[in-house]
Amino acid sequence: MDFFVQQLVNGLTLGSVYALIALGYSMVYGILKLLNFAHGDVYMMGAFAGYGVLIALGGPYDLTLPVVAVIALMFLAAMLASGALGVVIERFAYRPLRNAPRIAPLISALGVAFFLQSSALLLFGADFRSYDTYEYVDLAQGIHVGPLNISVVRLLVIGTSFALMIALTLLVSRTRLGKAMRATAFDREAAAMQGIDVDRVIMATFFIGSVLAGAAGVMVGLVFYKVYFLMGFLAGLKGFTAAVVGGIGSIPGAMLGGLAIGFGEAFITGYVSSTFQDFFVFAILIVILLVRPSGLLGRADIQKV
Amino acid sequence: MDEHRKEPTPPQPPDTTREGGPRIGVDEWVARSGERITRRAGWTAPAAEAFERVPPWARLALVVALAACVPFVSDSEYVVRVAVNTVLFGLLALGLNVVVGYAGLLDLGYVAFYGFGAYAYAILSSNQFDLHWPTELTIPVVVVASALLGLLLGLPSRRLLGDYLAIVTLFFAQIFVVLTTNADRINVPFVDGPVDFTGGPNGIAGVDPMSFFGIELSRVEHYLWFSLVVFTVVIVGLHLLNESRTGRAWRALREDPLAAELMSMPVNRLKLLAFMFGAAVAGLTGTIFASVQLGVFPQNFDLPLLITLYAMVILGGAGSLPGVVLGAAVITISLELLRDPGNARLLFYGAIVLGLLAFMRPWTKLAVVAAGTVVFGFVAYFVVDAVHPAWTAGSIDGGGLGGLLDGWVIHPESSVRLGNGAFVLLVAAVIALSQLKGRWRLALTIPTLYLAAVVWENRLVFEPSVTRILLLGALLIMLMNARPQGLMGTSRVEIV
Amino acid sequence: MAAAPILELRGVSKSFGGLQVIDGLDLHVNENEIVSVIGPNGAGKTTLFNLITGVYAPDAGDILLDGESLVGLPPHQITRRGVARTFQTLRLFLNMTVKENVMAAAYGHTKAGVWQSMLRTPAARREERMIRELAEEKLRFFGQRLMGYRWDQPAYSLSYANRRRLEIARAMATNPRVLLLDEPAAGMNPKETHEITELIGQLRTEGGYTILVIEHDMHVVEGISDRVVALDHGVKIAEGSFEAVATDDRVVEAYLGTKAAATK
Repeated sequence: MDFFVQQLVNGLTLGSVYALIALGYSMVYGILKLLNFAHGDVYMMGAFAGYGVLIALGGPYDLTLPVVAVIALMFLAAMLASGALGVVIERFAYRPLRNAPRIAPLISALGVAFFLQSSALLLFGADFRSYDTYEYVDLAQGIHVGPLNISVVRLLVIGTSFALMIALTLLVSRTRLGKAMRATAFDREAAAMQGIDVDRVIMATFFIGSVLAGAAGVMVGLVFYKVYFLMGFLAGLKGFTAAVVGGIGSIPGAMLGGLAIGFGEAFITGYVSSTFQDFFVFAILIVILLVRPSGLLGRADIQKV
Repeated sequence: MDEHRKEPTPPQPPDTTREGGPRIGVDEWVARSGERITRRAGWTAPAAEAFERVPPWARLALVVALAACVPFVSDSEYVVRVAVNTVLFGLLALGLNVVVGYAGLLDLGYVAFYGFGAYAYAILSSNQFDLHWPTELTIPVVVVASALLGLLLGLPSRRLLGDYLAIVTLFFAQIFVVLTTNADRINVPFVDGPVDFTGGPNGIAGVDPMSFFGIELSRVEHYLWFSLVVFTVVIVGLHLLNESRTGRAWRALREDPLAAELMSMPVNRLKLLAFMFGAAVAGLTGTIFASVQLGVFPQNFDLPLLITLYAMVILGGAGSLPGVVLGAAVITISLELLRDPGNARLLFYGAIVLGLLAFMRPWTKLAVVAAGTVVFGFVAYFVVDAVHPAWTAGSIDGGGLGGLLDGWVIHPESSVRLGNGAFVLLVAAVIALSQLKGRWRLALTIPTLYLAAVVWENRLVFEPSVTRILLLGALLIMLMNARPQGLMGTSRVEIV
Repeated sequence: MAAAPILELRGVSKSFGGLQVIDGLDLHVNENEIVSVIGPNGAGKTTLFNLITGVYAPDAGDILLDGESLVGLPPHQITRRGVARTFQTLRLFLNMTVKENVMAAAYGHTKAGVWQSMLRTPAARREERMIRELAEEKLRFFGQRLMGYRWDQPAYSLSYANRRRLEIARAMATNPRVLLLDEPAAGMNPKETHEITELIGQLRTEGGYTILVIEHDMHVVEGISDRVVALDHGVKIAEGSFEAVATDDRVVEAYLGTKAAATK
């Protein structure tokens, strides 16, 4: 029973992170019909940015500021850095290809992804860097009720993740920008004709998606400690799977998909083996694409002939 | 009847029989005028035109013959191995061309078929299971198995749009790597103890060399000639296939899948066929690879290989057979040159010079930039030397060119941190360059070029494996922006 | 005239989400007939074509070609059975040559496999020649416009009217019995419209095709139709000769609004 609850907690933690990454994919796909391969590497850069701040502030052994401040700054730095990176990528690698054949931005995205990965390898080396959260956070704190054991770090991650998702939902449904984003996702030309600055909206979408990915990067660092240049690749694939499972283009779908993949992976790792977690996620992707390609919450795309 | 209602009258066509009126067929001359005026500009023109006058089969024969002569020209086994690698990459590019260039499917899992072919050959012809099948049997079996694997991957993928297909196939490639790295301890029912299928992270060594009807391919040259034969057969076969009903259907599928389906072409089946063909070619290439390397390892088939392959196909021009072969040759040779710092330097600066020559016109602009960069370099070196001598204390070895650069490029003893900082600055500068125009762009080009040299000498030249991926990624981005059809593809019109 | 219709729709319905686009439609086309489908935009006319050719599956009802149901068949098989179409928004294979566009459509009634093509067997070569001659024959149908040097030009180099003609030629290359022409005269000037009108007639007499046409230009409809079917909001509101349908109250109301019908 304890074990089961533990996997539940793991699943929730993982799922919140995947949900954040999936949101970035979903939003960009909804607006541009583009799969941003580089998104996973933006997440990776966010994780490194957070690490950089940690080191700059004396961590992990000798923090110069109180823990709460350090963690807040790490998040801030990662989110801003990732957001900026996302905007730059859009400007440089995708915008010129707005009207090019579909395959062109995909290839460009592939190039960006590999460029980012190898840049990280060049700048940071191949070694794992570790957040070593246990050095500055007392992991014994947290909720310990019966079989339920959630460390304060995981609580932070889950809480922040949900807060961000709620903020995003409010943004999309209540603000003018959100409305503009929905309109542009629905029909870009019509939105432009209504006076919406489509370039700005797209830039904002990339920014927001990348900010979430950056936050996810710091979260993974805090919970799992290890960050390295390749971490974006697999996380990106799984984040994409989560977006597809939930229904690409749908924000609640991305959240749901993220949680689904997170829970699934936790239980497979716990009850079967960790080697097969990748297989499992892959299998889910195939099954969903075969059985319900529009995802759990997505709409079937009606193509006008 | 209502007098406001007019009887509808059909519109009358204009009279075309008047003297001097428009005549059908006259516009033919106008339409053909483009053919008469087209003449290539630039100094490569006479060479290109001469090349085009040679019929395609003669060109192929010429290239193959030249390649076959490599062992006679050079004594070094290394050079012959590079030649073999080039041919193998050419084969892979041909196969990928079928999937991406003909059918327009973005298959990012292609290297998995290559790996499958290699591993399958290795398992059937090594001490792994003590199987030593004759090559005449192994190759067809592996090729058919690869095609079947392509079918298997294609089946769930056939209803997918391009983007989804890309991710699914990419995932598949990842699964392949995980599988080969971990399949050395599989519990099989009815068998005692775990079975080692793939040798795990250490791969399978001691693979048999190929032998046909008693003749063993024992030296690298033999493999070169064998792979050239295979290459010729495959390229001719694919060319003939492209000119046939299947090739037309593939191209129609690439243009507009829905219209193709409605014009009696079974789109799903055609996609599967493309997948299978690509997989078969990759599997075949895998067998040659396994036997020439006499072993297979999981890291032979990882993602960097995938991006290298895509760079070849895109650079050459997806859809063009000679194009992808050219792309394969250019990139393989460039990557080999990158391994040795002296050669890498030549390649790097040579590429920059070529790029400037190609893109900077008129030559006055080019002269300004070139001179400006040189001057800027010396000034920068001088200033830094005066202010912070530690930063110029290092030296650049590598004879000729290195000596020249020693007094020009800022180069501290331990160059990692400077190199990294310069790298970040360089990326920022390039991005800024892309957003600027006119005189500002020209002005910024000069320090950017110098920065590039600094980054190169301080970091990149020492890290060939990272540099190659960096450059390939950058190449893909630039190609899509500047010339999506690659070197030899035709620029395409798309319905947006 | 008691022969069964070559193409028949019985009680066909289709809705997208909450929108009922086609509602209980009965339609038939007899062999060698030219039937025009008219109706205001949004009446469901192109959806009708999409249903017949298998792009969508009907929610209810049946679609029969020569008495055999087409429902559930993949589009390429429906085309092979003998139904070909052109598109309202033109969907040519732009980067392929004019001739290749037409040759490609011959896929369905040819059978040279991969191996025969690569080995250039005599059977394959014969078939290839047949396809080429078929394409030339279909292109010749349009007079001088798609002849000669034009064959090897990419399709994107054609003028708009020629593109429309090419699309018809391509559809013809599938050797269909029924041609579905979706607004063949859209965007054409009066001279071109006149040519298209004559052409459709020729398609019937010389080509022997049965033709179902969606058209907005009433000159064309009047000039070609044996029978006209008027749709509005997915429902058939009138059927008959051109004169009968054009003056039908409900049709006038659908196009022009109730007041116009009242002032008639």
